[in-house]
Amino acid sequence: MIRCKQVKVTFNPGLATEKKALQGVDLTIPQGEFVTVIGSNGAGKSTLLNTIAGDIRCSSGQLCFDDRDVTALSAAARTGDVARVFQDPLAGTCGEMTIEENMALAYGRGKRRGLTLALNEPLRQLFREQLARLNLGLENRLNTQMGLLSGGQRQSVSLLMSALQPSKILLLDEHTAALDPKTAALVMDITDQIVAEKQLTVLMVTHSMRQALDYGTRTIMMHEGQVAFDLSGEERSQYGVKDLLNLFAKIRPDGDELDDDKLLLGA
Amino acid sequence: MSLFSFMGTLEIGFIFGLVAVGVYLTFRVLDFPDLTVDGSFTLGAALAAALIISGVNPYIATFCALLGGAVAGMVTAWLNLRFNILHLLASILTMTALYTINLRVMGKPNLALITEPTVLSPFMSLGIPNMYLKVIFVGLVVVAVGLLVAWFLNTQYGMAMRATGANPRMAQANGIVVNQKIYAGLALSNGLVALAGALFAQTNGFADSTMGIGTIVVGLAAVIVGESLFNSRSMLIIVLGCIVGSLLYRLAIAVALNADFIGFTTSDLNLITAVLVGLALILPQLRREWKARKAAKGDTV
Repeated sequence: MIRCKQVKVTFNPGLATEKKALQGVDLTIPQGEFVTVIGSNGAGKSTLLNTIAGDIRCSSGQLCFDDRDVTALSAAARTGDVARVFQDPLAGTCGEMTIEENMALAYGRGKRRGLTLALNEPLRQLFREQLARLNLGLENRLNTQMGLLSGGQRQSVSLLMSALQPSKILLLDEHTAALDPKTAALVMDITDQIVAEKQLTVLMVTHSMRQALDYGTRTIMMHEGQVAFDLSGEERSQYGVKDLLNLFAKIRPDGDELDDDKLLLGA
Repeated sequence: MSLFSFMGTLEIGFIFGLVAVGVYLTFRVLDFPDLTVDGSFTLGAALAAALIISGVNPYIATFCALLGGAVAGMVTAWLNLRFNILHLLASILTMTALYTINLRVMGKPNLALITEPTVLSPFMSLGIPNMYLKVIFVGLVVVAVGLLVAWFLNTQYGMAMRATGANPRMAQANGIVVNQKIYAGLALSNGLVALAGALFAQTNGFADSTMGIGTIVVGLAAVIVGESLFNSRSMLIIVLGCIVGSLLYRLAIAVALNADFIGFTTSDLNLITAVLVGLALILPQLRREWKARKAAKGDTV
């Protein structure tokens, strides 16, 4: 479970470039819920994810996983609970290292890294089994350098890597945005499989209204650093992309609504 | 080249192989260009020499030299990580400070070790001629250390260190405390370089306050030679490649200095080194440009 209590994040406080990225987010996500997050550029979606991951510290407010206060913990210290996949396929893996080395790194997430060899035969077997799920033939290329794979392949492996260790929370930051439609569909498919299998609590930022409604069990929209609306259950299942766009127009009454091309195209 | 000078070349080549492994750890593994080594090489020699002269067991003295280098590396890491001083500048600051510290450690600019016991002393009774003994001893130590480093880079901790240099954001997302890995990496790297300095002082019989000048370039040259010879992702091959690169580099220099018709003298060494390293860095770039131009031409035809 994730609980945000009045979480505020301000960049460059006191300077001319001050930016209030999160302005008091109150959000409770029960264990096992799959939340999709939408909102225009600069609404605070990524900041919210990065704050939960620990890359960005709360300026004020409180953040709890289950009933444990994690507000003061570093990103590295939170990785026992949190796995993530970035938007940029290059960001989630080391291009200079091999597939198996990357997976071994992810396998060590949340554990003490000691002076034992990071790779051994049972581990390679596990990696092969996991890679076989992708149907990309990567299970026979454990020794291939990550940098030689395509963006889609790298993103698929990143996703597998995020699930190699048990975690409670999975953070997906537009993880299919940089992929072609076919690969994006494949990656979303595997995402769904992994989430169901591991009973993860998921926050997925997306620019696609369609994706936001099709996946998960709850949709929130961020606007100006706050949760503008929160849809779930029966109400959500009746919503179409159009309703979502109308709702979006309503919270931006100043006439500049729907100027976000990406948001429209994504729909 | 005489047998004697050939053995001497191998000996220096092995010792600088250790420097190359250290430089590989910072420049390549951590992506942290670290010039501290110019100071830590001398520090290793100075500490070992001063301690041996004051009656300390050579092995303990050598170990202290290694620790001293590790501390120097951590100072550079601290300046960079704690105060955001650019890594190059942080390492230059430490290197400059070390020049004074080394003079203080030695008490004078030059210490002779000719009559003192060294790490080689226990093996003197084996009856192996001194010039072979030195090469065998240094070679074994350096290769053993190289194997240890290669093994280390394949452990969970070592792999985390590689990830820190290759993609810090990914490393962090996988629970790796990147700063800690940078401290450890710089300590290890400079520890190895100081060990090389300590070995150099003992096999060559002296420590000198200026002996570290250019260490970084020589180390880097060896790394580059090794990389261009062995194109591999295997840590074992890369690390041993650094050592082989150092040997070949030393041999090339020795041949160049021995060829009378070229007319080089030992004082030309730094220029030759700089030109060689420069070429090694320039050639791959030019080759890429030629290839790109060729490919572009092929497209338009």
